[in-house]
Amino acid sequence: MRRFWYSLVVALSATAFMMIQSGIFAQHQLPGVQGSPGLEAQKPEGSASVTLTLDKTSLNNGGTVAITGTAPPGRPVYVEVWAEDQVRASRFDSEPDKETGKRPYVLYMTHQMPAMYRILVPKELQGKLDEVKKQGKGWSYSQALKDLDAEAAYSAPAKAKIERYQATLMGSVVGSRGELLPAMDEKENRKRSMQLVKARFRTPGKVFAANVEVKPDGAFAAKLNIDSGSAPGNYRVRAVAGKDASSEPVTIENKIAFPYLYLSNAGTSLNFFGPFLLTLAIAIFGVLMGAGGGFILNPLLVSIWPLPHTIVAGTVMPTVLFSQASGIYNYSKIKFISWKLGVTIGLAMVLGGFIGPKLTELITLDQFKFVFGWILIILAGLMFWQTTSGYLARNKKEQAILREFKKKAEESARRKASK
Amino acid sequence: MVIEFWGVQFKVNVLLGCIGGFLIAVVSSMFGFGGGPFMVPLMTVGLGLPMYVVVGSSLLAIFFNTLMGTARHYQFGNFDLLFFLIMFPAAILAGFIAPQIAKRVSPLVVKRIAAAGLLILAGNLLGLY
Repeated sequence: MRRFWYSLVVALSATAFMMIQSGIFAQHQLPGVQGSPGLEAQKPEGSASVTLTLDKTSLNNGGTVAITGTAPPGRPVYVEVWAEDQVRASRFDSEPDKETGKRPYVLYMTHQMPAMYRILVPKELQGKLDEVKKQGKGWSYSQALKDLDAEAAYSAPAKAKIERYQATLMGSVVGSRGELLPAMDEKENRKRSMQLVKARFRTPGKVFAANVEVKPDGAFAAKLNIDSGSAPGNYRVRAVAGKDASSEPVTIENKIAFPYLYLSNAGTSLNFFGPFLLTLAIAIFGVLMGAGGGFILNPLLVSIWPLPHTIVAGTVMPTVLFSQASGIYNYSKIKFISWKLGVTIGLAMVLGGFIGPKLTELITLDQFKFVFGWILIILAGLMFWQTTSGYLARNKKEQAILREFKKKAEESARRKASK
Repeated sequence: MVIEFWGVQFKVNVLLGCIGGFLIAVVSSMFGFGGGPFMVPLMTVGLGLPMYVVVGSSLLAIFFNTLMGTARHYQFGNFDLLFFLIMFPAAILAGFIAPQIAKRVSPLVVKRIAAAGLLILAGNLLGLY
């Protein structure tokens, strides 16, 4: 019985709501028809004429949310979804300018890119979306927005504050990001933010889905799928039916719990055991083959999880710091290090280590993978060379001498200690 | 440059060592791996030093690079603490487990498997399949 009353109340209030909505809509239709596109008249009409409701208020590590709502009849409806959590996105612009042919070499960077961003477009546009997907890696987000007629729906990333750095050859050598250029105006910021959306989310499938069903009376329904591994926290959902008509954003919370952890810098949440076991396996294998695990670990990490390559490179590197330091300590105890040689070459390597991390953010993930592919081929060659008979024979002799010297060194260290 | 190591003197081509070390450092800090497997051949084959001189000294040289690379990545905000805390214990644990396994497997077999595995992974990265 109680259920019946609940549903009655819900149904009544929904009906009342819709009546008010359509009533307000009818009132404001008039000025539009009369052809007075005053800003004051359009604004309230816009915010009031589109409604949106979600069937849930929270999710556990992603899931599907049903979106329903109403919009002025006869208009295509777009649904914009973004995470409140913000991450970093950067893009190095080295494409030659279409008019002047000059390469700008400007690094665009923002710390305010939503960790998740998607625009749901009407179902009928699936064909156009497939065309965008067919373009492959060279697709353009701004062109896709135009093709899908979704420019009005694009709002959240456009507000991200973008910094511009003029990179110079000298600056790269010194290892600086370059000169900070003056802030861009709103229009330019919006345009550049679209490029950063592509840089961050990479594929059209991440930022578009064609599943909004619009009925002739303006009622619409859509399914929003938030992937597992998305950022926790609040997500905002907003329906847009043209430039002057949009709903207030509705909030839904995505919760995650252990073993899922959210890497705030990477903007990805993942199962704790995934990277843990992978690192363990690769590091063991790395020790066995006599090469650090980073070679295999880094490309696997960027391939398996949606992690930015900058974060992977910057976080894997320090994991070997301590094993290297303890190795040096052990060798130095028995005086098995030539400090003169190590420091001389080390100074040259410090210089390289100063420049390298700067270059990481100038390349895209695809370039990262491409270069890594060639590095691995060279490494595979080195590994194979170490199994050839000529190398083995030489190595056997070398290892024998190494053991002999090490024994000598250990003995003299012990003697000194006992003295 | 002449270095002395346990009573034996070696002539080292510093220019080659430094240029090679610099290039290895740029690439390894850019892509976030240790440069060991490239440094050792550079010093043994390139500089003609015997293995017993190279093992400790190459580690020292690489440590400079790792330290600097880490600091710079941190400066550019490429470091994720939680991610580090997931991987670091695994790397330490591997350091204890690996020597136990190493006694039982032939390094020759491991290296051949590694070479094959690296080629497969490289093919994937280069988009060959």
